[in-house]
Amino acid sequence: MNIEFGPELERFRKEVAEFLDHAPTPEIREAGRKTTSVFAPFEQAIAWQKILHAKGWVAPAWPVEHGGTGWSIEQRYIFAEEYRKRRLPPLLPNGLMMVGPMLIELGTEEQKRRHLPQILAGEVYWTQGYSEPNAGSDLASLQCSAVADGDDYVINGSKIWTTLAHQANRMFMLVRTSRTGKKQEGITFLLLERTDYPGMEIRPIIGLDGFPEQCEVFFDNVRVPQSGRVGAENDGWSVAKHLLKHERGGSAASPAMLHNIAQIREASKQTPSPFGGLLADDPVFQRDLGELEADVLSYRCFEQLAISGHPMVRDAAYPSMNKTMNSELSQRVSILMARVSGIGTAPLQIEALTVGSGVAPLGDDFDLIAMPYYLNTRATSIYAGTNEVQRDLIARSMQAS
Amino acid sequence: MDFSFTEEQVMLRDSVARYLDKDYGFEARRALLRSGAPWSKEAWRRFAELGVLALALPEDTGGLGGAVSDLVPVAETFGEHLTVEPWAFSLVLAGGALAAADGNPAARGYLAGLASGDAVGAFAYDEGRGIASPAQIAMAAQPSGDGFVLSGEKRLVFAAADADFMVVAARAAGKAGDADGLVLLLVDPKAAGVALTPFRTQDGRSAAHLRFDAVAVPAANVLARDAHDLIAKLVSDAILVLAAEAVGAMGALLRLTSAYANTRKQFGVAIGTFQAVAHRLADMKIAHAKAYATLMYSTALAETGRLTARDVSVLKAQVGKLGRAVAEAAVQTHGGVGMTDELSVGHYLKRVLAFEAIFGASDYHFRKVGAPAEAA
Repeated sequence: MNIEFGPELERFRKEVAEFLDHAPTPEIREAGRKTTSVFAPFEQAIAWQKILHAKGWVAPAWPVEHGGTGWSIEQRYIFAEEYRKRRLPPLLPNGLMMVGPMLIELGTEEQKRRHLPQILAGEVYWTQGYSEPNAGSDLASLQCSAVADGDDYVINGSKIWTTLAHQANRMFMLVRTSRTGKKQEGITFLLLERTDYPGMEIRPIIGLDGFPEQCEVFFDNVRVPQSGRVGAENDGWSVAKHLLKHERGGSAASPAMLHNIAQIREASKQTPSPFGGLLADDPVFQRDLGELEADVLSYRCFEQLAISGHPMVRDAAYPSMNKTMNSELSQRVSILMARVSGIGTAPLQIEALTVGSGVAPLGDDFDLIAMPYYLNTRATSIYAGTNEVQRDLIARSMQAS
Repeated sequence: MDFSFTEEQVMLRDSVARYLDKDYGFEARRALLRSGAPWSKEAWRRFAELGVLALALPEDTGGLGGAVSDLVPVAETFGEHLTVEPWAFSLVLAGGALAAADGNPAARGYLAGLASGDAVGAFAYDEGRGIASPAQIAMAAQPSGDGFVLSGEKRLVFAAADADFMVVAARAAGKAGDADGLVLLLVDPKAAGVALTPFRTQDGRSAAHLRFDAVAVPAANVLARDAHDLIAKLVSDAILVLAAEAVGAMGALLRLTSAYANTRKQFGVAIGTFQAVAHRLADMKIAHAKAYATLMYSTALAETGRLTARDVSVLKAQVGKLGRAVAEAAVQTHGGVGMTDELSVGHYLKRVLAFEAIFGASDYHFRKVGAPAEAA
């Protein structure tokens, strides 16, 4: 066994730390502190992406020839660890972590040439058009249709949970192109180069935290070019499955959780216990905090084994196990944050949460984000395949053995 | 980073597993327990031949000079086979205490016997309802001349009735709660004033409660003074090895239970096809993965001498809690048959519960992890 990263990797860590300590602007840092879901405040996330792009560090996981860093998996983990523990805003994932890697594997040369540089530069933002009002976990039931007409497809129907569609200028989507045979076999994967085609209407949905993050998108005879198709017609399900593996991929999630736990511990030193004294000295609180931290540390061990290339990652259930652990631990962290904040979570603070508003929070930053973070984190066990679906997949992997 | 075992470690583990698969199957184990023997002398002899007794003992007294982390893969295999031999207690705890007693002639004599399999040691540590931290030790070692006089009780001393020697942790000064004033003493189990109440544990091991009534210990048998840190180190080593056994047991439970759920039919279908059962299986797999990853990471830390008390608390608490969850889910999934003595499932449950109970239960260790650093 060898637990060390080695001296060259520790030098790399220093280089990363140095850059991350100095490169972000105050607005970008503020956006990081006010990030309460997977999606950071849009403008600052894009501004930060442009800085990282200039440095050449915007796409750690992409191959070098497409603008990636060429980093090893350990370097990527170290980068993610240093990044997450500074509470910098995460880059918007749809282009960099989903469409980009998918196109690198499955796109035509023309599609790669056209889209990859724009994705890296932060010039485009891709929203995901998968779910529909009647197709959530059972995604293959989707009904939004595309009919070939000349060089175009004509799209009719609607999509929902299209994250940040109101800010997006690109969309990748699944459409139904055939109603014969198995429902998975009549689906096609399309890239839309605009989100303002005639007949396309985007309606933001206000989330539980009071902010519009998700949207509904309606299509009324929307004409889009067939050149945006990825893979063959009616073969979109396999493209989507390919892409899903990027969505469920194992990044470094434990450093951000450990950062939150450190904040909880600090907050507990200022928080009165209902029994008198401080919460930090309350044995029940200590036990509960320790139980959560121990579980996050176990998850960290799991992540470390994964990046070391342990055979465990070749288990068919690995992505589902990772997603389930990660999402449920985040939820438990969010619950404890809200518990420590107590009535500090009561005020609705839309303005103070808005980057650049200049409105000071009631309470401190911890109180400001505790409730919106708690509320948004409910989504982690719903998106990317509900945890019920993940557990089905994990159990299925146990039938073979 | 690399969390795999070396070729040597894997070869040793595999030879132990081959022997146990062949001669220490579940029915052989049941027969052994029915025979009334404290453990299998034959298995002990084979362990000696394979080198797993000498593995972590010092080289100058016949050991192989390995580290406690070398014991982990073997311990996992022992857990899978539910072995009842006092391996961890005799070698890691009692043997570790002797090895630390730099050059003590009495200790050296027993060390050679431990490595060859001719001697077995017991470690008398627990008191009352269980001791999580050495500082809580209260049993008195009254200074007398250059030696001590022991009076009081020790509980759950594994292998005590058949041990050739005992290492007793006791308090020469101060009061329970003090880190200072602890000693480790070498005691003959047959010495005048030592009374044993032997019993079989729920998970098949041989142990005893002990009473010491003015037992004189000469200066030559004082293994360590100011022994708090040493005792804590021995307990930490034992937790690592016993956690590996528990994780081995969890792995066995996972395999047995998925196989059962995929073959046992009710309402015309395999019960594993019911979502409530399937999701319990998924949770078992997640729990095992967490416990396993924590064990592997802790082992790598131990190998570099960087395993802190806090890391040990995380390991102890997580394996205890997750082990219980996996074992209880296994019994539930097996239904009525899981409640019977003739199936191994319940025996694995008892093994992981035994791990959870000693050296501080999960709640204690969780609180240690959660307490502010300065108080931990």
